[in-house]
Amino acid sequence: MSDDFNIQNIAKLASINLSEEEQSKLSNDLSVILEHVQALSDLSLDEVGEIFIHPLEKELLLDEDEVRVSLTHDEALQNAPEKNEGKFVVPPSLE
Amino acid sequence: MSIVNKSIRELNALFLQKELKPSELYDEIFEVTSNSEAVIHAHLKLFENENREALQNADKRFEDGNSLGLLDGIPLSIKDNINLKGSNTTCSSKMLENYVSPYDATVISNLKSQGPLFTGKTNLDEFAMGSSTENSAFGKTQNPWNPDCVPGGSSGGTAASVSVRSSIAGLGSDTGGSIRQPGAFCGVVGYKPTYGTVSRYGLIAFASSLDQIGPITRYVDDARILFEGIRGYDSKDATSIDHEFIELPSDNNATVGVIKELMEEGVSEDSKNEVNKVVDILKNKGYKVKEISLPMIKLAISIYYLIAPAECSANLARFDGVRYGLRVDGNTSYEMMENTRAEGFGPEVKRRILLGTYALSAGYYDAYYGKALQARKKMILEFKEAYESVDYLISPTTPTAAFKAGEKTSNPLEMYMSDLCTIPANLAGLPAISIPTGLSKEGMPLGVQVMSKALTDHSLLDFSELLENELAFHDLPFAWGS
Repeated sequence: MSDDFNIQNIAKLASINLSEEEQSKLSNDLSVILEHVQALSDLSLDEVGEIFIHPLEKELLLDEDEVRVSLTHDEALQNAPEKNEGKFVVPPSLE
Repeated sequence: MSIVNKSIRELNALFLQKELKPSELYDEIFEVTSNSEAVIHAHLKLFENENREALQNADKRFEDGNSLGLLDGIPLSIKDNINLKGSNTTCSSKMLENYVSPYDATVISNLKSQGPLFTGKTNLDEFAMGSSTENSAFGKTQNPWNPDCVPGGSSGGTAASVSVRSSIAGLGSDTGGSIRQPGAFCGVVGYKPTYGTVSRYGLIAFASSLDQIGPITRYVDDARILFEGIRGYDSKDATSIDHEFIELPSDNNATVGVIKELMEEGVSEDSKNEVNKVVDILKNKGYKVKEISLPMIKLAISIYYLIAPAECSANLARFDGVRYGLRVDGNTSYEMMENTRAEGFGPEVKRRILLGTYALSAGYYDAYYGKALQARKKMILEFKEAYESVDYLISPTTPTAAFKAGEKTSNPLEMYMSDLCTIPANLAGLPAISIPTGLSKEGMPLGVQVMSKALTDHSLLDFSELLENELAFHDLPFAWGS
């Protein structure tokens, strides 16, 4: 694990508030896991060729951009924690 | 033999002969559930009364000779990360405790046209992250063979439900072994189809390049029937493939490889003995059996624990308290998101999101995620080479039989090791099945895993059924219905 690993920065990037206790426990857990995955660093991997995200090496297909029957407005909003006049409501974005 | 222990094909024959009605089977299933559920806790929600009209319709279809096929009237349980319209889909997370699915997953809509009855939504490790179903926000599931032991995970609820016969068969999802490992721990069949053959649309995503929905059943033939019921190309899933299956020999013209690296240190004698038992059976039947070395398998857990958390950190970014799920207030939108995610996610989910966030962050992407993708490719190339000389690969499904509850919860890496044998099939997108083979010294079930190359699912099932017949493993857990 890199020396500049900083659990607070990672938590900020992941948008998760962590208690001090969680920070300490997760720092420790991640360091054990990252040490384990270091096993990959010595591998010679120059010859593997093109990388695909699909494990069967298929190109990911995109749908045609056409209007189809989908969720109704009400269905899309039915699980919203807060809504108003057909819109999602969130707290202010600026302090 | 109790009705609930029969196979789907046997039950269908009884329905067709009018010796049994779907409603009678359903009541029998709930008789079992009323005895087992308080101890096993396989389900988060049960649909005992919601299906009465559907049951009357199923009864009538068989009375009138209009049945919809083999799955008509069959009680199925569904892992609670698969959307079933109008029902809660919680992923065993506080984040989605009150989420009601506004649509059906493609596997559900495929099934609905074939008449099965959904008995309930089953427990899982939160967002399918775990190997013991201990990471559920809504209580643990216990193993039907010994309630002190875990049922495996993450599809532990479905595996336990099928094992006790609270359902005839069920659906799980498998990202690193989450169908096969609980299948092995609960003494049932767990089958992960070739990646892309079953739509992931409506499966709440954990790691999209690895996730695959599949059957958990008592018999291999039931897995075949359920696979036929859910598979097919789906334009709503960008990774779905418009596939043609490939045939392999399943009789003794087939060559079988035993994976050397999964018969070494880290795998118990009990688990190795089950593989040796299968090897003896195959040799006696005239199959060619040889040892195959796949050195990259030793690195599978390292590869997986970079790729899966990286994909999970991106997929779970959607849980931000805005459109659905939990919201915990904050003075700004950002504070609200941080508070919501702190409160809504459990420890294992946080651990994986943070690990994935780190592996994808600027400066570390190439060293971690990029390297893992290359290593994954190297493993895929190794499998391709192996399948030039063998048709099927066998190994233990799990390094040990089911462990005691609480035994591995404080050590994440030790928990991750329980997926040692199952992760490679996900990384390579291969079909893989666990079939029950016998019991450990402690009397807990063990399984052997069979893998084959992509899109040979039907041959894999045929071969596994031959093996199942030869093994004749008929032990059952405590009979909860009697």
